Amino acid sequence: MSWNLVKEVAEREIRTRARTKSFRIITGILVAAAILGPIVSALWPEGGDDLRQVTVGLVDVEETTQQQIMAFAEGNLDVTFQDYTGLPPAQLDQALSDGDIDVAIEGGQTLVWDRETDFEIAGLLFSVLQQQEVLVRGRMLGLDEGDIVQLLTPVQVEERFADKPGESEGVATGVAFLGLMAAFILPQAFGQLTMMSVVEEKSTRVIEVLLGHLRPRALLLGKVLGIGTMAVGQLMVVVGGLTAALLLTNTVDIPSSVWHFVPIIVVSILGGLAIYNTFFALLGSLISRQEDAAQVIMPTLLPLMAGYLVGQSAVFGDAESALVKVLTLFPLTAPMLLPVRVARDAIAPWEIALSLGLLAVGVWLLIRIAGRVYEFTLLQTGSRIGWGQVVRLSRGAALD
Amino acid sequence: MTRPRFHTMTGGLRVSGLHKRFGKVVALHGVDLEVARGQLVGFLGPNGAGKTTTMRGILGLVAMDAGSVTWDGRTMTEEDRHHIGYMPQERGLYPGMKVHEHISYIGRLAGLDRETASRRAKHWADRVGLADRGKDLVQQLSTGNQQRVQLAVALVHEPELMILDEPFAGLDPVAVSMLSDVMAEQVEKGASVVFSSHQLELVQDLAEHVTIVAGGETRATGTVADLRNRSPRRQLEIRWTGPVPAWSPPEALAQEAPPGVSIFEVPAASDPAALIAQASLAGSVSAVSFQPPGLDEVFLELVGP
Repeated sequence: MSWNLVKEVAEREIRTRARTKSFRIITGILVAAAILGPIVSALWPEGGDDLRQVTVGLVDVEETTQQQIMAFAEGNLDVTFQDYTGLPPAQLDQALSDGDIDVAIEGGQTLVWDRETDFEIAGLLFSVLQQQEVLVRGRMLGLDEGDIVQLLTPVQVEERFADKPGESEGVATGVAFLGLMAAFILPQAFGQLTMMSVVEEKSTRVIEVLLGHLRPRALLLGKVLGIGTMAVGQLMVVVGGLTAALLLTNTVDIPSSVWHFVPIIVVSILGGLAIYNTFFALLGSLISRQEDAAQVIMPTLLPLMAGYLVGQSAVFGDAESALVKVLTLFPLTAPMLLPVRVARDAIAPWEIALSLGLLAVGVWLLIRIAGRVYEFTLLQTGSRIGWGQVVRLSRGAALD
Repeated sequence: MTRPRFHTMTGGLRVSGLHKRFGKVVALHGVDLEVARGQLVGFLGPNGAGKTTTMRGILGLVAMDAGSVTWDGRTMTEEDRHHIGYMPQERGLYPGMKVHEHISYIGRLAGLDRETASRRAKHWADRVGLADRGKDLVQQLSTGNQQRVQLAVALVHEPELMILDEPFAGLDPVAVSMLSDVMAEQVEKGASVVFSSHQLELVQDLAEHVTIVAGGETRATGTVADLRNRSPRRQLEIRWTGPVPAWSPPEALAQEAPPGVSIFEVPAASDPAALIAQASLAGSVSAVSFQPPGLDEVFLELVGP
């Protein structure tokens, strides 16, 4: 088989498909979404302008206490004050009851709630009031102002977790999900493009001219490689845009550990594209009209859906269940489950090797089978060719 | 029935005893075809005779059950097939490709380097009358112009063997003339050209040699003149100066004729001089012609019911 011819076919697929409006528009939308997402997130950070509004009623509270509360609340609570000094206590109670204020400070030592304590507000106010009281007591004891400040300097308390989540777990889950989505969507979108390309060649009869110059398997390989390259190109542009936007906006810290498993995810996505593009091409050779595609597409959708659903359960749940493990080894579902398990660090190295090995064997076998089927179906036009007929054709029989 | 007669050929295409069965249908059972280098051969036959299957067999698109396809005396190889220019019966082009790009692409598949393919694509687009349409999409062209692209696609690699399946179908007279010229040029350059057509008058004008197939087998092959002369019948046409007499030659079959003319189908063995003498006795003869039947009639003799 001449690899030059394979290259020519691949190049034609890339040139003609990349020129289509639909491909350009979809790629543009995906890239824009990938870049704008982090930028929007950086410009309007979650909760940034949406601090919890807290209104504190004051009865005989000093100005310094108010300043102290504001200082402590900065970045956590949006505090406003209402002064009830000199007003009847019933008015304060009514304001609490009506929700006009969340809490009131009476005389610098008493917090008044409506029915129950709000611990977020209480924590803040307790700290402030305690500091104020300690300051007063220190002065009474004749302590130096500097000593008092030193005493009040917060102690740095360190934390230790018995079961702390991994530093990169959040990012890993995100990568697992993105990997799953890419492995699910790309083979579908580009596989169907491959199928339509085969059908176009059959329906326009250009296939007769092509097969005068190259063998069916070379045509199949060129098509799979060309459209697969387009898929990878589109993915790289989108992921590149997303990564650049994340780094520039500093929205998410990408842990260095992520880059260790990205290559395996990329390889499994490539394997998925190869096996599904071949599968779709094979099915495309069974029909001659684009409107018949729905009749033959089911064998590809079943494993894709199974892989996606089980993959999703593995992203957010158990990534090491028996079902997940089995489907990781099945070539048609492996491309979706490998990224998830690798990103979640829930797979042994031997499983990765075995899964990728089986995927490679699956791709090789399917290319051989599809190449064989191609030889007998590409020149057949008319109604859909059934699998029984494919077997007959491969024995040199004719269609009915 | 006239049996095939083959002359000795030193180079070119030789197809011998092709057999192909599709399930219960026997498509070919003994097709022979020869096209020497520098020869233009008309490949004739009714619908379903096996012409397209034979052409596909030569191209390796369909595996034959038996028989051989040789080029220059040896079995045709994959490499040889790169030197074939093929124009299929049902036109085959990518609708979404630009004209120049399409011709050039097929050139590269045929083994040309990028630059040569591009140069030749331009040359052939110009030659088939599409000089200013190179950047148009194929689907933007009329059917006739798409057929011109198809011809350029078949010619871009300047093949040694051209196989054209119904190349004249649907072409206007200008395009027919252009295609005829191109075919003649290729033959002049030494290419072997075989084409099928149902336009027998055109074949008679263009091709020196024809091969006629029917029912999956070769029924006759030879020069057009030879096939016509091999016919067991002749056409006798007499133009009268006066009224048409009620005269008929022996063993003759009267044909429909215009006023003042008699046309008879007579045995080939008839003596034209004797017939003219008899006719002169019956009436006033102004002109006589005694000719073998045209290719269309020979064709019907060979493949007709």
